[in-house]
Amino acid sequence: MELFRLDAAQVAGGIRNREFSAEEYIQQLLERIEKVEPKVNAFVTVGNKEALDKARIVDKKIRDGEPAGPLAGVAVSIKDNICVKGARTTCASKMLDSYIPPYDATVVRRLIEAGAIIIGKANLDEFAMGSTTEFSRDGPTRNPWDINRVPGGSSGGSAASVASLECAVSLGSDTGGSVRCPASFCSVVGLKPTYGSVSRYGLISYANSLEQVGPIGRTVADVAAVMNAIGGVDENDHTTIGPKPHYACDGRMDKPLRVGLVKQFVQGADPEVTKIIYSAFYTLARQDCKCDEVSLPSVEYALASYYTIAMAEASSNLARYDNIRYGFDMSPEGYEWNAYFAKARSNFGDEVKRRIIVGSYMLSSGYYGKYYLKAQQVRSILRNELKSLFKQHDVLIGPTMPILPFKIGEKVDDPLKMYLVDIDTVVANLAGTPAVSVPAGFAVNLPVGLQIMADEFQEQIMIDAACLFESAANMRRSPDL
Amino acid sequence: MAVTREQVKHLGWLSRIELSDDELARYTSQIEEVVKYLDKLDTIPLQEVKPIGRKKKFSDLRDDVSIDFKGESIRTSNRKEGFVKGPRMV
Repeated sequence: MELFRLDAAQVAGGIRNREFSAEEYIQQLLERIEKVEPKVNAFVTVGNKEALDKARIVDKKIRDGEPAGPLAGVAVSIKDNICVKGARTTCASKMLDSYIPPYDATVVRRLIEAGAIIIGKANLDEFAMGSTTEFSRDGPTRNPWDINRVPGGSSGGSAASVASLECAVSLGSDTGGSVRCPASFCSVVGLKPTYGSVSRYGLISYANSLEQVGPIGRTVADVAAVMNAIGGVDENDHTTIGPKPHYACDGRMDKPLRVGLVKQFVQGADPEVTKIIYSAFYTLARQDCKCDEVSLPSVEYALASYYTIAMAEASSNLARYDNIRYGFDMSPEGYEWNAYFAKARSNFGDEVKRRIIVGSYMLSSGYYGKYYLKAQQVRSILRNELKSLFKQHDVLIGPTMPILPFKIGEKVDDPLKMYLVDIDTVVANLAGTPAVSVPAGFAVNLPVGLQIMADEFQEQIMIDAACLFESAANMRRSPDL
Repeated sequence: MAVTREQVKHLGWLSRIELSDDELARYTSQIEEVVKYLDKLDTIPLQEVKPIGRKKKFSDLRDDVSIDFKGESIRTSNRKEGFVKGPRMV
């Protein structure tokens, strides 16, 4: 039996019912990883021994009749900007070369408590800055559907590891679409939660006011199950709010879903993508959803607002990396401190350096009102527009990405072109609202994702819509590798 | 707005990032293009908008107690007499 093909719910069920052991399952996954990693490069680190040890502990608990948790034995990969105690956490950057966290991020601790097994740390764009996973010190992750193309980013390793059947689920982080973009490009499900519903304690900061940790899986139900494990208030993150979630994917809805297709999202998209999104729209209409087209005019300013805020926050967040306490080996002997820091920090990659510099520019005196203040203003306007749309609609839909997965190297030297692909995803981060990407189909054998957005803390209705679409569209596939 | 090589060099210094000539040349044109795009924000009139507020009070912070993480949390070989060694300040 090919256990590596099973989704998280099947794995937890099979191990609980002793149809197979966690050790057999993890062993198969490790073999799978060895086979496909040379092609995909989804992992920065794989924890073979640790994962097998944890699997044996799960098996013992099951044999002894002890509770093993709702995710017992389920293999999960963790984006390498989320702290796992004792495991190197590098953000795919030379600047964190030797960082071994002395603690678990809250989301990691909660996954472990739910019985999940961490199988490895997933590749990403350095410090989560990018949309392709090309800006990694460990080399680019490749799209499992076409290894000459990008998997999306910045959680490209997370999405590719789930799509390539190297693990059942993954944790990524989403600052401007970094969970949903690679989920769309790799044809898996990726969810960005409401701001404040999941703890950021132990997530290495890039842009605090925008980012959330989010799950990636092959089914909507798996993603909901991970949300149930990681969500809820954490005293170590003051922005967390709300009760522990109990999301269900049981298809129970009292009345027809009201669905709005955001026309600005489809207008600028590749015609191949638009075709699939309209077909998704009709699929939902056939499921008795009340569907119409809606307008979100401030989308025009969303990207400029997003990049201003993200880069400003990045420039202040990354000021802390001085290479003194953890970093790469560079002796401070003979250096004056400014010279040492400037020299050491020149080891950030191109994209990180660009963003720090643009962020410093945006925050310079005299420019603050011109950029940062206006960006915050757009944020409020966008949020008000969304609030008024959500009075009439349960969910808003559109493409997750306006284009198909492109060739590796195609946009790597053109930052602005790269930024423009985030147009549909940044809206949810600016507004703090939840959004999920669900596989919607294929155009010339390349995946297209449907983005479903809901009002803040309305994850359940968003999951309802995603489940309804998932079963009606029946688009679950795995690539040949 | 136009972005000059000197400006990028200065911003690099403010950010404590040493930039090579090649980086300065590449980044200046790339950053100029990005900044021109962000200038879009200046086309909307600045108005009074209520900032997005947080729902929790700052007085609700947890107690500031230290946690013993046990074991070594600082990984550097640059040490002297048990202290971490940094560059000289003057």
